[in-house]
Amino acid sequence: MQDNMMKDTNRSGFVKKLLKNNVTLILGVLILMIVVASVFSPHFLTLFNLQSLMRDLAFIGMIAVAQSLLLLIGELDLSVGKTATLSGVFGGLLMTTLHVNPFLSFFLALISGAILGAINGMLVSGLRLNAMVTTIGMQSLYGGITLVITKGKAITNIPEEIFFLGKGSLGPIPIPFIFMIVVLICILYFTQRTRTGRYIYAIGNSKEASKLMGIRVNRIRVLLYSIVGFISALAGMLYVARLGSAQAAIGNSWPMNSIAAGVIGGVALTGGVGTPFGALIGAAIICVISNVIVLFGVNVYWQEAVSGLVVVVAIALPSLLKIIRERKMIKK
Amino acid sequence: MSVLEAKSITKTFPGVKALENVDISFELGKIHCIVGENGAGKSTLIKCLTGNYEPDSGEILIGGSSAKNDRKLFQRIAYVPQEIDLFQYMTVAENLFIPFERAGIKGRIRHRRLEEKAAPILEKFHITAKGSDIVKDISVSEQQLLQIARAVSLEEYDVLILDEPTTCLTTKEAHQLFEIVNSIKAENKAIIFISHKLDEVFELGDTISVFVNGLKVATEPLSDVDINWVVEQMTGKVIDYQEMFHSGNVTEETILEVENLSGKDFHHISFQLKKGEILGFSGLVGAGRSELMQAIFGYLPVYEGNISSRGKKWKKNDTHASVANGMFYLPEERRSQGILPELSVSVNASMNSLNRLNRWNGISRTKEKALVTEIVEEYNIKTSDFDKEIKFLSGGNQQKVIVGRCTSSDPEILVFDEPTKGIDIGAKTDIYKLMKRLAEQGIGIILISSEMDEIRKCSNRIICMYQGSMTGEFDGNANKDTILKAILGIGQETKEEDHNAG
Repeated sequence: MQDNMMKDTNRSGFVKKLLKNNVTLILGVLILMIVVASVFSPHFLTLFNLQSLMRDLAFIGMIAVAQSLLLLIGELDLSVGKTATLSGVFGGLLMTTLHVNPFLSFFLALISGAILGAINGMLVSGLRLNAMVTTIGMQSLYGGITLVITKGKAITNIPEEIFFLGKGSLGPIPIPFIFMIVVLICILYFTQRTRTGRYIYAIGNSKEASKLMGIRVNRIRVLLYSIVGFISALAGMLYVARLGSAQAAIGNSWPMNSIAAGVIGGVALTGGVGTPFGALIGAAIICVISNVIVLFGVNVYWQEAVSGLVVVVAIALPSLLKIIRERKMIKK
Repeated sequence: MSVLEAKSITKTFPGVKALENVDISFELGKIHCIVGENGAGKSTLIKCLTGNYEPDSGEILIGGSSAKNDRKLFQRIAYVPQEIDLFQYMTVAENLFIPFERAGIKGRIRHRRLEEKAAPILEKFHITAKGSDIVKDISVSEQQLLQIARAVSLEEYDVLILDEPTTCLTTKEAHQLFEIVNSIKAENKAIIFISHKLDEVFELGDTISVFVNGLKVATEPLSDVDINWVVEQMTGKVIDYQEMFHSGNVTEETILEVENLSGKDFHHISFQLKKGEILGFSGLVGAGRSELMQAIFGYLPVYEGNISSRGKKWKKNDTHASVANGMFYLPEERRSQGILPELSVSVNASMNSLNRLNRWNGISRTKEKALVTEIVEEYNIKTSDFDKEIKFLSGGNQQKVIVGRCTSSDPEILVFDEPTKGIDIGAKTDIYKLMKRLAEQGIGIILISSEMDEIRKCSNRIICMYQGSMTGEFDGNANKDTILKAILGIGQETKEEDHNAG
């Protein structure tokens, strides 16, 4: 893969220009991977496989897009998975034991997610804590509460009315994927066209400068954490609808995958650079990797190792290109 | 004879010719000063001379032989960067000897031995701190000296490059530094001294070279030229060095009233700001002026006292409310507190006016472009396009973008904190003119400056501070000695008694 990229930089000026843009580059990598996958595996381009790919991407993509909001201000939330589980269990309980209307329960679960997110945000901004350490702590807390409530057992007999939200499709497109697209469009509009969106980039560039400009930094931080909580809960509830049960074990890979997706997609961990769209492309790359590993029949025990390796290579790629570019500049 | 020589070097970056056909040579036992605006090519030249950049064409001769194929020659060049570049949480001795291999320290690190080894070096450079002190606890001037000691004390070198070494120093500390620089000169080393402060250049230097837009326009012995000549070379025009910039439109209307205000680094401060005046705050670095203004602005806490504006009580601890009330603070640390480095000129300039750019589908790009065009034209900001990241602009132009950002939303009070720090003379005059114009439009301006000339040139009234207390209030024509006494705290006891009595 590296060799290919290096050859590409020597091609025409237009390609060069496009390659300077990291999102285009990453999009190119994604397309390349899809082409390779469809050439080498007859199963890749089948409707069934593409649908299951989209269904996976719906969840990781949604979380990655949400996480990119925090990455843009130079922070992150490692409790996204457990927020999703706790809200999912909360929503499940409302529907089953308390017999609340399923759709109302669904909505209330999302609100509970936003509240969990807001708690993270208030801890981080109010007590001036480090986001990473705080949300590691909060993820155990949320996960622990889930275990206390469920005693480790799944909540079954979820009302069938909401199953279509997780299992259904509109034409060939799975419903969760449509949710993800809606989330993406909302977040893109929010970050790229609104005032608060501009302030997010400002905060990511310099918290001090933003505060000295009169931007309400802490208020925006709490807002972003609650949006992340809300979207995590949405992913969690869609997962409940997909499985037909609420359980404590979902979303374990979401925090790491969403951050990796952001980094692959060109969102700087230090904040202020990148777009949620890039994060989605990053998430798509991660999904295609894990899909291809299965299709190529990689030994089950090796799957995780291979997937980790490919993610690290994907993260290293933009950085590697930058180093090569700088070397060339010095030589010139 | 020349120990270091650049022969017709050219260095190009995408879109910019940073150096063009520059010939320059440096001699042993001489202090060679380099002046030029930000972006004139000084830093690029230094990076070529220290081997960090390879010039596109031309060559560097060190001790008469080309450094192109013998990169070891670059070890003869010692370089002290502009910004303090020390390990803040390690000891003075550790900072002096890291990397330890270089200092010939092998095996286990024994602190007592390091400190013993450091003692004579510290003494030579008049550093009073002990080898065991933590660097962040010693004064900025000693940190600066330590940087120089680190650069020159352990290796054989012929050339010492000092990049704006006095930026953070008071006049007195700067003179201590000059003594050391002169003693290094006496050891028959070549010294390259880069500075924006022309009085220092004339005090210290032997030769001066002026850079403009990547070209070296002149090299002359300093004894043959004067300040006006230098300014003329730099700007291509004659600037009246005596010109005054007081506001001519001071009214009696008070727009900010501060009563008995105390905070962490300032005590019992009272003053009034009138509409249309420039109020100067003079003092040494660390006198508490910035802290006072940041507290009024809401960035730092206020312990006691009152702030009001036009009879209305000022909301404390809330920068958003201050901005909404028309007060803006333009920070001294432009790079970390003023600009948003990775964002475009356009985004930086419009950040405070977004509420006026709204359309049904969010921020209107057309309206934004119109606003930014207006700002860029009004303040004569030099940028090739609006989408360029602001970090690529020169310091003066960054400052103008920040001023443009604040003024575009109808401010009433503007606080300029060291607005010309690290800015060359030509652009300084632009900033003075700008403050005068804004004041005459009816804005109340507070100017914090450590440069006596700047304060006296611009301020209608001058307030002096010493160690967090007010030590005097004078009108703009007060003489230098009076102000100097006040900022040095001479006769300040009586003043403090006044405060206690009141």
